[in-house]
Amino acid sequence: MATGSQTHDGVPENLRKQLAVAVRSVQWSYAIFWSLSTTQQGVLEWGDGYYNGDIKTRKTVQAMELKADKIGLQRSEQLRELYQSLLEGETDQQQAKRPSAALSPEDLSDAEWYYLVCMSFVFSPGQGLPGRALANGQTIWLSDAQYADSKVFSRSLLAKSASIQTVVCFPYLGGVIELGVTELVSEDPSLLQHIKASLLELSKPVCSDKSSSAPHKADDDRDPMCAKVNLEIMNTLPLENLYSSTEEIKFDQEGISELGGQIHEEINMDSPDECSNGCEHNYQTEDSFMLEGVNGGASQVQSWHFMDDDFSNGVQDSMNSSDCISEAFVNQRKAISVPERENVNRIHLQELQNSNHAKLSSLDLEADDDLHYRRILSSILGSSPQLIENPSLRYRDCKSSFLSWKNVAINDAHRPQVQQRMLKKILLTVPLMYGGCSLRSQKENGGKVWVRKLKSDDICIGHISDNRRENENFLVLRSMVPSISEDSFSLTNFSTFLWKSQIDKASVLSDTIKYMKELEARVEELESCMDSVDFEARARRKYLDMVEQISDNYDKKKIDNGRKSWINKRKASDIDETDPELNRAVPEDGLPLDVKVSIKEQEVLIEMRCPYREYILLDVMDAINTLHLDAHSVQSSAANGILTLTLKSKFRGAAIAPVGMIKQALWKIACKC
Amino acid sequence: MEHPSQDSLLKHPNSITYESPYPLYALAISHSPHRVAVGSFLETFNNRVDVLSFDPETLTLKPQLPALSFDHPYPPTKLMFHPSTSSPNLLASSGDFLRLWDLRDHSAEPLSVLNNSKSSEFCAPLTSFDWNDVEPRRLGTSSIDTTCTIWDVERGVVETQLIAHDKEVYDIAWGEARVFSSVSADGSVRIFDLRDKEHSTIIYESPQPDTPLLRLAWNKQDLRYMATILMDSNKVVILDIRAPTMPVAELERHAASVNAISWAPQSSRHICSAGDDTQALIWELPTVAGPNGIDPMSVYSAGSEINQLQWSAAVPDWIAVAFSNKMQLLKV
Repeated sequence: MATGSQTHDGVPENLRKQLAVAVRSVQWSYAIFWSLSTTQQGVLEWGDGYYNGDIKTRKTVQAMELKADKIGLQRSEQLRELYQSLLEGETDQQQAKRPSAALSPEDLSDAEWYYLVCMSFVFSPGQGLPGRALANGQTIWLSDAQYADSKVFSRSLLAKSASIQTVVCFPYLGGVIELGVTELVSEDPSLLQHIKASLLELSKPVCSDKSSSAPHKADDDRDPMCAKVNLEIMNTLPLENLYSSTEEIKFDQEGISELGGQIHEEINMDSPDECSNGCEHNYQTEDSFMLEGVNGGASQVQSWHFMDDDFSNGVQDSMNSSDCISEAFVNQRKAISVPERENVNRIHLQELQNSNHAKLSSLDLEADDDLHYRRILSSILGSSPQLIENPSLRYRDCKSSFLSWKNVAINDAHRPQVQQRMLKKILLTVPLMYGGCSLRSQKENGGKVWVRKLKSDDICIGHISDNRRENENFLVLRSMVPSISEDSFSLTNFSTFLWKSQIDKASVLSDTIKYMKELEARVEELESCMDSVDFEARARRKYLDMVEQISDNYDKKKIDNGRKSWINKRKASDIDETDPELNRAVPEDGLPLDVKVSIKEQEVLIEMRCPYREYILLDVMDAINTLHLDAHSVQSSAANGILTLTLKSKFRGAAIAPVGMIKQALWKIACKC
Repeated sequence: MEHPSQDSLLKHPNSITYESPYPLYALAISHSPHRVAVGSFLETFNNRVDVLSFDPETLTLKPQLPALSFDHPYPPTKLMFHPSTSSPNLLASSGDFLRLWDLRDHSAEPLSVLNNSKSSEFCAPLTSFDWNDVEPRRLGTSSIDTTCTIWDVERGVVETQLIAHDKEVYDIAWGEARVFSSVSADGSVRIFDLRDKEHSTIIYESPQPDTPLLRLAWNKQDLRYMATILMDSNKVVILDIRAPTMPVAELERHAASVNAISWAPQSSRHICSAGDDTQALIWELPTVAGPNGIDPMSVYSAGSEINQLQWSAAVPDWIAVAFSNKMQLLKV
């Protein structure tokens, strides 16, 4: 069936689309082009029209491929068809109703009916609103159309039934364009300008942003009829409009800006694909994008977006965008974009793929970062080859190691105690094994928490939780044990201690052990010669107290050596204090008693000074023998009843007697009188 | 299909097993002549990398004779062969340093030891690295000192060093010649562009704050997608770089935590994951997800927790897994 636009010579082919643009841009209800009749001179009759008002029912017979943007056009088409069919039904009663009419009269809303009826009107020159507009060559703006005099506006009663309150007519291209709306709008020249401009200016490509949801932000509270011309498109059906990864075109409204109208620049959050540059485009294709998301009933805010290359303005919208974002992503998640989801229009847009952008939904980022990330994305996605359908893994089940998945209960599946054990070790403990590395700053990090859990059955170098106390203890230890070298403790940073100490701990402990052994020996030596001295008793009491105290405080699991070092340290210091007294005490006894035993490697050097008695040397040798020592050099002299003995010996076997024991034995001999 | 037995070298039409005397972690497969390098995991100084030669035709996997293996100080945290087919003998390992090895017929020569620290003779410990396959001179390493270092391995110099995260960086993956992304203990996935080092973009953060992200894989067939795994989580999170912060899918069919992930080298929709539930799952990402989530396509059950998974572009029909002290090559 011929469309209106094709039957009349004077009407440009794409007029309907122009009308659509015009009426949608101002959100009015309908647009009609009255053209000069070819049959009758000067008479205006129906040329073409676009219906943009409320719809009662929508026949959802559209196939899925038909995008929402075509719905408006289709509706208008359907209305025209209905009219034609009704017309023909009237003229020819016998003929069956044309089956092509998708709509039937009961499907129409009042405004639609009005629109339909308009198709039957003709206007003689000067008659009616369109006639007068053409005759005068001027725009006529009729407010309160429903109360107008029927001489002025012949369809006023019809308008009343349809609640059309404002009608505007102006001459255009030899005919008249009429727009009407169900609201009362006072005369507004700028609106007219806008409409006219939009009719003229439709050669540039259109880019639609897909905001995901209807409740889209600040636009709602803006009066669409106000002086500030509002240009936005909102898509209420994101799913249907979900394009694949790359394609969208940009709508460039330079024409509007030339008018000086205030163009509100906004950037909606949309699905993250927008093209960066406007592109020259086939008018056919772009129209389909312009007319989008016409949906019955629900709020429809339709306008275009002005896309600026500098997206700095977008930030203000990002707050509002966040709601849209989540929905957009939800939708996107539902349809993980696939290359095969193609569309005739998209094919046209392949060449745009090279510059893809995405806008970050993270509100923390500045608009600046958006730009950077967009650049990154464009470089990644632009350079990557076009998504091709990759062959899915071909399964030769008989040869594959893998079995098909069966949805079985996984309750009794294998679940180890410590999860991701090896992975955690590789990431957390292994890096700390390396000795001597310096970190820039190692704060208490979460890794240590996990490391603690690993500790239980680890064989790796032990990590001890609660580093700080340990660190402090080590420092104290260092201050007390003089032999610990500075090297073990050369920290660049206190907090790097942990992993330096892995190796250094060993040396610290070995030094401590050494020192402790020395002290033990000393203790025994002094103890044995203090049988009669009070100091010893006091020290011992102190020692016991010390032990109790320390064992109470000592809640950490440390090796015994460590503990002993604490205890011995305390004790040693006490003894050190008492020592000079001891030394003084001894000579006062009169008898020079001195036993010195020192061990160097495997060699033991014994020096004795004691009162000489019979068989003392024999006793000494006996004692040494019992201690598994082999004397290889003996020097002795007995002068003035005092034996001076220097004895060098070696340990016979592996058994090594501690210094203390040797000393003790020798003391006994020396003191025996 | 029965489970392969405990023999050290088993020929089975579906899988080949190599049993080593010590636990294994790092795995790498080279281009033809196909070699598999396995790194030991002993928590001591003395570790070893064994190089096995693999013949997919005859289904043999044997240690190269004479034994081409070398000592490695500390367990290698990652092993990787040079991405280009023209130099299959170059092996890189990370650990206390980044080391390059040249595998000749009879020996493995250490080529260089790369240290990215200017101030000390010690390098910050490396958790992982990735070799850029578009620009094979470029290699990026991630370290626990929160930095990522980009190397020019031909010249053996540092190209750049970035402070990537607030906490230790656990993995790094190249997307394009100059774009890489990294995951860290701070729980974020960030994308970096070498042309614009001032800025990085967080494209995902773990839902519980400060849950470390342990591994990252970038789909080289379809650069829009990345996968990552969280600590102590059985989920594989699939991200779309065009849609930051919201994962595209969360694959949640493992019964225990996931240890390794690898995208299929020959298909853009497939990914394999392996975890502590001893299973390796191959997933096919659908265009539209069902309401109950995505089910894997196929499953393989190993004898114990699978610690490592490699699906190399060199041999796209085989997946290498490592569990306890075995390494298996599984036919896909």
